[in-house]
Amino acid sequence: MSALHRFLRRPEAVAGALILAALFAMAVSAGLLFPGDPQSIAGPALLPPFQDWSLPLGTDRLGRDVLTELFHGARTSLAVGLAAAAAALAVGAVIGTLAGFTGGLTDEVLMRITDAFQTVPSFLLALAFVSVVGPSLGVVVVAIALGTWTGPARVARAEVLSIRERDYVANARVIGMHPLAIAFREVLPNALPPVLALSSVIVAAAILTEAALSFLGLADPNRVTWGGMIAEGRTVLRTAPFLSIVPGIALVLTVLGVYLAGEGIVETTAVRRGLS
Amino acid sequence: MSLLAVSNLTRRYNRGGETVAAVHDVSFAIDPGETLALAGPSGSGKSTIARLVLRLIEPDAGRIEFEGNDFLALAGSALRAHRARLQMVFQDPLAAFNPRATVARVLDDPLRIHGIASRTERPHRIAELLERVGLPVDLASRAIHEISGGQRQRIAIARAIATKPSLIVLDEAVSALDVSVRGQILELLLDLQRKQRIAYLFISHDLGVIRAVAHRIVLLDAGRIAESGNARAVIDSPQSAIGKALVAAAPRLDRTMQDAS
Ligand SMILES: Nc1ncnc2c1ncn2[C@@H]1O[C@H](COP(=O)(O)OP(=O)(O)O)[C@@H](O)[C@H]1O
Ligand SMILES: [Mg+2]
Repeated sequence: MSALHRFLRRPEAVAGALILAALFAMAVSAGLLFPGDPQSIAGPALLPPFQDWSLPLGTDRLGRDVLTELFHGARTSLAVGLAAAAAALAVGAVIGTLAGFTGGLTDEVLMRITDAFQTVPSFLLALAFVSVVGPSLGVVVVAIALGTWTGPARVARAEVLSIRERDYVANARVIGMHPLAIAFREVLPNALPPVLALSSVIVAAAILTEAALSFLGLADPNRVTWGGMIAEGRTVLRTAPFLSIVPGIALVLTVLGVYLAGEGIVETTAVRRGLS
Repeated sequence: MSLLAVSNLTRRYNRGGETVAAVHDVSFAIDPGETLALAGPSGSGKSTIARLVLRLIEPDAGRIEFEGNDFLALAGSALRAHRARLQMVFQDPLAAFNPRATVARVLDDPLRIHGIASRTERPHRIAELLERVGLPVDLASRAIHEISGGQRQRIAIARAIATKPSLIVLDEAVSALDVSVRGQILELLLDLQRKQRIAYLFISHDLGVIRAVAHRIVLLDAGRIAESGNARAVIDSPQSAIGKALVAAAPRLDRTMQDAS
C-alpha cells in the first residue's frame, strides 16, 4: 500500500489536508478574486456579515471588506509561516550537522549558542528583534526563525552523531572526500527525515507567532494580517464581535490544518520506514 | 622496499574506566603485489588495524610507512590526495554506501575527487570500471539498494580500484557473501592482483579462504601478534595456541580451500 493510500485512510489527516488546500487556494486567488488594495474602503462601516452579498462577511470599522482582508491575510500567514519554518529548519539542520559532525570545540561552541537561544522564550526574542529592526515581512520571518531553529538543530545533531559512525562515512573519507562535502552531501541528507518531521509543529507555531506579533502591531503596515484584524476588531468587540471572531476562526483552522496534515505525513512515512 | 611498513602500532580504548589495548605493539610489512592475511578471533583487533592503516583512527604509538612516506605525518589535503593509493573494501556492502546513492555516483566520486577524468569523460570511465569488475554497464543508473549483495561488493571493488591504488585493505570483504558469490569475488580479486600488481591486506577469520588467496599471514590474539609467516605453512602446522585453536575450529578446511581456489 502506498504512503498516499495510507494518508487517505486517516480522516484527520485528510481534514487537515483539505483545510490546507483551502488556505492555499485563498492565498493564491487573493490577488485574482480581490484585486487592488485590500485595505481600501469598500462600503459602509461595520456592516454585519450576510447582509449584503457583495460584502458577504461584512465590513470593519473603516468600511473595509472583511472577506478581502481574510483572503489577503491568508497570504501573509502562509508566506510568513512557511518562510520562517523553512529558514529555521535550514539553519537548524546546517548548524546541527556541523556541530555533530565536527565534534570537539566547534560542537561545544555551537551547542552553547543553541542553549543561549533556547533559554530566551522565542516569542520575546521575536518581539525584541522586530521592535529593534522595525516591522517588515522579511524582518518578521527572521524574527520568528531566530527563536525556532534550535529544535531542528538539536534533532539534526543527534541524528548526525549516529550517522557519522556508519561505514559509508568512513568510506567517503577513504576515497578522500573533503570533510565539508562529507558533512553536507553524505551525512546531512540522511539526517533530514527526523528534522523534517518537526515541520508541522514549527509551521503552526510560526503562523501563531506571526499572528501574535501583528496583534501587537508589529507587522508590515502595508500588509493585511489576521493578527492585525483581530486587534482592530477588539476595539469594537461588543458591537461587532464578528470582526475578531472571523479571523480568529481562520487562524485556529489553519494551525489545526497544518498540524493534522503534517502529523499525517509523518505517521504514514514513518510506517513505511518501519516496514521496509 | 616494502609497500606498507607498520611498526610497533598501539591503539588503546577506554572501557569502563579501564584502558585496554585493542592493538598492542604490532609490526608487519606488505610488499607490492602481495597478499598479507590478518587473521584472529573476533575482537582480536583486525578491524582496528585496518582503520589505523587507513587513518580513519589515530594510533597511540607506532609508525606507518606507505610508499616510502611517513603516512602518519600527512594531514589535510596532502592526506586526502594520498588516499588515492590506499583503498578499502568493507564487510557489509550495503552499509558501506550512502543509502541514497546510485551506482554511477558511487563510482563518480573517486574519479572526480582525484581529478582522474573530466566531467565528460567520467561516464566512459565508469562504464570501463563496471566492465572490469564483470558487471553490465547499464547497472550505472541503478540505486545501490536495488542491486544484489554480490553486485554491490563488485561495485565496492570497482570504486576501490578507480584511483589505481597500490594497496587495498579488505576487511572481511567476502565474509557476508554466499559461498558461490564468494568464490567469484575472490577470483576477481586475484585477477586484479595479477594484472595491476595490487597488494591486499586481507582480513578474514576464514582460514580456508586465507590459505587459498594469501601469501603470508599474521595471526592476532587479543591485539598482539601470536604468529606470522607463510600462509600455508602457518595454517598447516600452527605453532601458537591461538593458531592451533583456530585451525581446529575451522570446518572442513580442505574443502573450503578447494571451493575458493
Ligand atoms: N570505538 C571503540 N571503542 C571501544 N572499544 C573498541 C572500539 N573499537 C574496537 N574496540 C575494541 O577493540 C577490540 C578489537 O576490536 P576489532 O578491531 O573490531 O576486532 P576484530 O575486527 O578483530 O573483531 C575489541 O575488544 C573491541 O571491543
Ligand atoms: Mg572486525
